[in-house]
Amino acid sequence: MEIQIHQHFSTDDSNNNNNINNNNKKSNLEQTLVAATTHSVTANNSILMPPLDTKLLANKQGLHANNEANNINMDVDTADGEVSVLLANKNFHYDALSNPDQSFEADVNVDGNGGAKFVAGDEAKQLLSEQTHAQVTWLDSEQIDALDLTTLDIGNMFFNRVDSAEIIYQKKKKEIKMVGKYVMGDVLGEGSYGKVKEVLDSENLCRRAVKILTKRKLRRIPNGEQNVQREIQLLKHLQHKNVVALLDVLYNEEKQKMYMIMEYCVGGLQELVDSAPEKKLPLFQAHRYFCQLISGLEYLHGCRIIHKDIKPGNLLLSLDQILKISDFGVAEQLDLFAADDTCTTGQGSPAFQPPEIANGHESFSGTKVDIWSCGVTLYNICTGQYPFEGDNIYRLFENIGRGQWQAPDWLYKLDAQLAGLILGMLQAEPAKRYSIQQIRCDPWFISAPEEKGPPIPIPPLKHDVYRRSTVLPYLDAYHYETERDLEEVYFTEHDLNRELARQAAAAAAEIKAQQQQKQLAAANATGPSTSADASTSNSISKEKKSSSLKRRAKKLTSCISVKKLSNCRPS
Amino acid sequence: MPLFGKSQKTPAELVRSLKEAINALETGGDRKAEKAQEDVSKNLVSIKNMLYGSSDSEPPADYVVAQLSQELYNSNLLLLLIQNLHRIDFEGKKHVALIFNNVLRRQIGTRSPTVEYICTKPEILFTLMAGYEDAHPEIALNSGTMLRECARYEALAKIMLHSEEFFKFFRYVEVSTFDIASDAFSTFKELLTRHKLLCAEFLEANYDRFFTQHYQRLLNSENYVTRRQSLKLLGELLLDRHNFTVMTRYISEPENLKLMMNMLKEKSRNIQFEAFHVFKVFVANPNKPKPILDILLRNQSKLVDFLTNFHTDRSEDEQFNDEKAYLIKQIKELKPLPEA
Repeated sequence: MEIQIHQHFSTDDSNNNNNINNNNKKSNLEQTLVAATTHSVTANNSILMPPLDTKLLANKQGLHANNEANNINMDVDTADGEVSVLLANKNFHYDALSNPDQSFEADVNVDGNGGAKFVAGDEAKQLLSEQTHAQVTWLDSEQIDALDLTTLDIGNMFFNRVDSAEIIYQKKKKEIKMVGKYVMGDVLGEGSYGKVKEVLDSENLCRRAVKILTKRKLRRIPNGEQNVQREIQLLKHLQHKNVVALLDVLYNEEKQKMYMIMEYCVGGLQELVDSAPEKKLPLFQAHRYFCQLISGLEYLHGCRIIHKDIKPGNLLLSLDQILKISDFGVAEQLDLFAADDTCTTGQGSPAFQPPEIANGHESFSGTKVDIWSCGVTLYNICTGQYPFEGDNIYRLFENIGRGQWQAPDWLYKLDAQLAGLILGMLQAEPAKRYSIQQIRCDPWFISAPEEKGPPIPIPPLKHDVYRRSTVLPYLDAYHYETERDLEEVYFTEHDLNRELARQAAAAAAEIKAQQQQKQLAAANATGPSTSADASTSNSISKEKKSSSLKRRAKKLTSCISVKKLSNCRPS
Repeated sequence: MPLFGKSQKTPAELVRSLKEAINALETGGDRKAEKAQEDVSKNLVSIKNMLYGSSDSEPPADYVVAQLSQELYNSNLLLLLIQNLHRIDFEGKKHVALIFNNVLRRQIGTRSPTVEYICTKPEILFTLMAGYEDAHPEIALNSGTMLRECARYEALAKIMLHSEEFFKFFRYVEVSTFDIASDAFSTFKELLTRHKLLCAEFLEANYDRFFTQHYQRLLNSENYVTRRQSLKLLGELLLDRHNFTVMTRYISEPENLKLMMNMLKEKSRNIQFEAFHVFKVFVANPNKPKPILDILLRNQSKLVDFLTNFHTDRSEDEQFNDEKAYLIKQIKELKPLPEA
């Protein structure tokens, strides 16, 4: 759900200390402050308000406080969703395109610390084109074009006092969008290459994920474009249940974007580990993932592929808890006739690199690099720590390359067999390091650790533990939302706070109810357990708009086939 | 003891009465056999429920399962069940497979007691493999599920691979009943691909017998499905890095190249395509032995023409087109070895 804030103020106000651009003779100027921030998104479109989100609250308070200080400071975290904030002239509705010459726009440039400062038009344009701030979600091309048409004098920088009570929010309409045959949903996550969104295959109704890559972002990453090409080449021909499947690749030349359609995964092992207490998994759960990792890795090595970047962040999980090895950006395929698995380059994550790479050897055994990384991964998910640490990459490599690692005593106490396996995989000497065959024969690998307590569940997606489809609200809005429904979507901060408080109360009540349920279940262990979840989804308000469910006949256009944009800016 | 319903038999009692029933089934006349059949079914259901739990009983306790497995080993009942599988009724056959697979998966720490037990009684495996014989087609698929479960364990796969019986698979995969042949092929493939190192060692040690004597026949089979499946498996085996030694040997033999070149010209496009993926390895080999080079040179211009017009409609498949272009270039640039 996107929220737009319309902020009303008048520039010809006598106490306004702003110096207004001379070019703009009209007293009433339309000023548009465009920024984007994020907050939690619920899957249900009918929810008017966003669900309780502490981040949003903090965000809002930050906004409020800084408004008082004639500044705007927003905590931006685009990994969650999108909220666009529009500050518009009191007397004009935001309509930059109709009156472009007279519009005056400032852009909020968010720095790494989450602080925001105003940036004047030309500079803003440059920033936009460079996209140097990955955490800001920029507006769509029409709005960017509108920015292009504006002129702005840098001398006219001003700060404006904004009373938070005057801010009103508008729910952003869920505009359906298609890429090829795929209906777009919400953002699932974000990497350095771009966003990952959920999509729905409109032909077979399969849930998929799409990795959106923009040329601009790729160019900023060393070897970015080659890595992506290599990943596509490799993934196309791999077929294994523990290797992520690439199903389709689409290109949009106008937007300079690439869409990689992949299996739908619920996130990485890293997120799962991070969500666990002490950042470690119960041994039986770690064992389950590790076995799958070895199975996938054996397949890759059979295909002559050295992954080179095995780590929890690159191991995805599907909805049915199947581990998928992903990210083949730095992987290497050995020549069909290569006599052995010698590699010469290593570009993986430093903490997972073996001594031969840390010490800068010219060539080394590729398969043994992956084994080492698997060892570090296993250590990490079982203990929540790393076998090697260092303040910086030099220290880290120094520690890795120093010599034979010894498993700490507490690891032996935790599980002696596990310690033995990790030690075998973390042999400094590649020749002594375990092979996949040896791992398969290892006692810890063969034995299944006892299941003690429940496994760590997959972290919820934006508070939705069920991970419901985020595409459906778009489809729902497209088919059943009429124009009239969209008129009453303004709400004030007061409403927002009230709704948030209401939801907080509901959530608290729910937790209480669940606890009671648990106690009840514990007290009455033999009785049939009733579902504790019944109230979960209903706690959120479902103010289905009283709408005549009039279907609008609208032609759905795929953005792959859009006509060329009228004014493409040189990049 | 429950007030209503039958009293619960102990594992030992169950195993004993099942054994007696099967013996009766084996020897008895018509009347007796009918009664025995009934007893067998009843006892199999009880054992199955003891292992898996049933809708109205709790999941089984560990000690019951342990006791039951111990009785099964001591009484040699598993072998007896498998040997008499064709005498047991339809539902009973399925229950035997369920019981067998469950007991097989049993694990105590790092040990798999049933796997160890079967290692000492390999005739269980051989009897299962013989399930694909024509004598009793009705047990082939049940035997197949049990065999593939066994093939998951390296120790058992090793026994099967290195047995004389393994080579019977070359006959089983061609039997006239399609579903049996397919099932046999999937077991065959599982045995050859599941445990990479084991398979590589086996193929290296038995190269001549496996490829020259037997696999060749599959590739020349009159049965389209056999031809196509075996060609695909051949490609998978050769291109797997673990079988590197086998691949280098395979692609240095001119007979194999001739076979692939003939398969490139097959009527079926699918077979042509699979053959292409094996053929490319011969051409890409940087150290082609003289006989291979001679064949390629003799057909140089024909091959270039052929490949240029080969599957031109696959324009979508970039990798295929890249590979094709690479092969054409390689073949064009072929030069005879300098006379020594």
